Amino acid sequence: MKILIIEDDPETAGYLQTGLREQGHSVECVGNGRDGLLLAAGQPFDALVVDRMLPGLDGLSVLKTLRGAGVKTPVLLLTALGGIGDRVEGLEAGGDDYLVKPFAFAELLARLNALVRRPPLNDVPTVLRVADLEMDLLKRSVTRGGESIDLQPREFQLLEYLMRNAGRVTTRTMLLEHVWDFHFDPKTNIVETHISRLRAKVERGRSRELICTVRGAGYTLNDDPA
Amino acid sequence: MTTLPRLFRTASFRLAAAFALIFAVSALILGGVVYWTTHAALEQQMNSRIMADFDRLRGEFQTGGQAQLAAEVRRTAGRPGALHELVADAGGTILAGDMTAVPQPGWSTIEPHRMPSDESELVGIRTLTVRLPDSTLLAVGDDLEWIEDADEAIFHAFSVAVLVTLGLGIAGGALLSVAFLQRVDAISRTAEAIIAGDLASRIPVRGTGDDLDRLSNTLNHMLGRIADLMEGLRQVSNDIAHDLRTPLARLRQRLERVRATAASVDDYAVAVDAALAETDTLLETFAALLRIAQIEGGARPPVRDPVELHVIVETVVEAFTPSAEEDGKILVSPRLDPAVVAGDRELLTQMLVNLVENAIRHTPAGTRIEVDLTAGSGVVRLTIADDGPGVPAEERGRIFRRFYRLERSRTTDGSGLGLSLVKAIADRHEATVSVSDNRPGLRVSLDFNLHDGASAQPAGGGHPVTAQHSR
Repeated sequence: MKILIIEDDPETAGYLQTGLREQGHSVECVGNGRDGLLLAAGQPFDALVVDRMLPGLDGLSVLKTLRGAGVKTPVLLLTALGGIGDRVEGLEAGGDDYLVKPFAFAELLARLNALVRRPPLNDVPTVLRVADLEMDLLKRSVTRGGESIDLQPREFQLLEYLMRNAGRVTTRTMLLEHVWDFHFDPKTNIVETHISRLRAKVERGRSRELICTVRGAGYTLNDDPA
Repeated sequence: MTTLPRLFRTASFRLAAAFALIFAVSALILGGVVYWTTHAALEQQMNSRIMADFDRLRGEFQTGGQAQLAAEVRRTAGRPGALHELVADAGGTILAGDMTAVPQPGWSTIEPHRMPSDESELVGIRTLTVRLPDSTLLAVGDDLEWIEDADEAIFHAFSVAVLVTLGLGIAGGALLSVAFLQRVDAISRTAEAIIAGDLASRIPVRGTGDDLDRLSNTLNHMLGRIADLMEGLRQVSNDIAHDLRTPLARLRQRLERVRATAASVDDYAVAVDAALAETDTLLETFAALLRIAQIEGGARPPVRDPVELHVIVETVVEAFTPSAEEDGKILVSPRLDPAVVAGDRELLTQMLVNLVENAIRHTPAGTRIEVDLTAGSGVVRLTIADDGPGVPAEERGRIFRRFYRLERSRTTDGSGLGLSLVKAIADRHEATVSVSDNRPGLRVSLDFNLHDGASAQPAGGGHPVTAQHSR
């Protein structure tokens, strides 16, 4: 996909550019808000990565102007060490996701992927399917190979998020944000324990593993039809 | 007297001086009016006396002519209390009387001259001089002295009044100003002491509740707030200096050692992983410090949204139950009253998470951790209690300090900032934190003020109390 990076720190920009190109994306970088705004408004991009602190025109203003002009490209905002309320401000300005520096590249990649492949709002499925796992969102029931699996409400939410993002990496912080609404990093491995409980229920007696751990990044629901 | 010019420049002195001046001018005007009316009345009286005496003498002339007139004048002139009289013939020769010169006909004033009777006094005389039918000149006059005496008395009285008014006004203004200046000086001295570095200095308050007292109280309040912020800033600098230097130095040593001793790519990979982990810890600590400083510093006004505290407790307890169980601990919330407080949902969640994590991390297996939320009579109490080893009474006051860790928890990882963040968030929400003995174990209680439900309802609109189990 085609990604525009608006970031004034050449080192960070270079780090992102190299990493994203290795993943096969086409990347453009600009170092200030004005150029970024012109570029983003002039050409179609699949996603924008915008730093909040930019020389000339800051990231939030770029974002507001773009949204004001009707540009709906998904935007991932980057910010320096977490200020209170920064995240809310960023989302209110029209950002789709928010990442605090310093971040792991895997985290940024997972979030960008989630942003770009976010399904349109009007396309709301009532049943999610991954391999032989089936989730009925209306009946709140889960079956695997026809066998019913009994899940706690939070486990259901966790599985739902993984299924909606099947085939893509979901990071620990993404799960914390979307399943528990925790916008900080607890020291306790709550995600791991919940995943292992979910696994125990979903994978019980099965040879084929569905919920996979991606080392150093997060989890993915394996949707290979193998 | 270096204070003198300042004294005159004070507002209270200027006001007092202006009033004194206005009173003085009024006294002067009043004095002038009294002077003129009195003077005119006295002159009128004098003229009448002269006219009466003149009529009497003209009567003598009409009955006995010049000779009888002269005789009468000789008889009365110069007597004490009598008027001055003079009779002269047509040639101007004085026939009788006690005047030294013949005045012009008509009303006139004889300039002061020495009276023959009393050599010491200079007196002006007002005279009426008329030429009688046989050309005889008759003059009757009266001393101006007593009009002058009256004038002088009035002038003196009002001069004294004006001087006293001015004097009292200026003295009163000066006194007021001295009192005012003393208090202003006290404020200045406090400010200067603070500029010089004594941040504990405060403006003395007299306790009378007057406007200067109120101003002083407000300023003291402001100074207290500034001192808190300064203290926070100073502490953050100290914390960074002490607690970030050590791990940074350790990281550097490790990297140095690896460069000197590493033999293979694998050695480097291990070292890089270790360095990354160490860097992450440092960044975490740094982020936590900044967050605490931001929350304490009040960089932005606190969020005052209605927050359903019971939902937070429910979510957090549910999220941490599996981890606690894995650690062999029990995490429960036996009592969960619905309670809405005003605040920042994200921060309150983090606060509870830190407290629960703290309880899980620093207790042995088998510990029971209870999170209770009780709401009653305007106060919401959130309690996190465990039956673990607890914290010694003398240490309890210190657990909210930055980087504070009980000696036995040194071996576990963690920055020692979790509870500092709890305290900062509690303070921002005007919640009182208390730490007590759970017999055995540690009990941390937070008292919140119940959110005023009438002013702001939760976004959902429903009454908070109905939403105990929202899922």
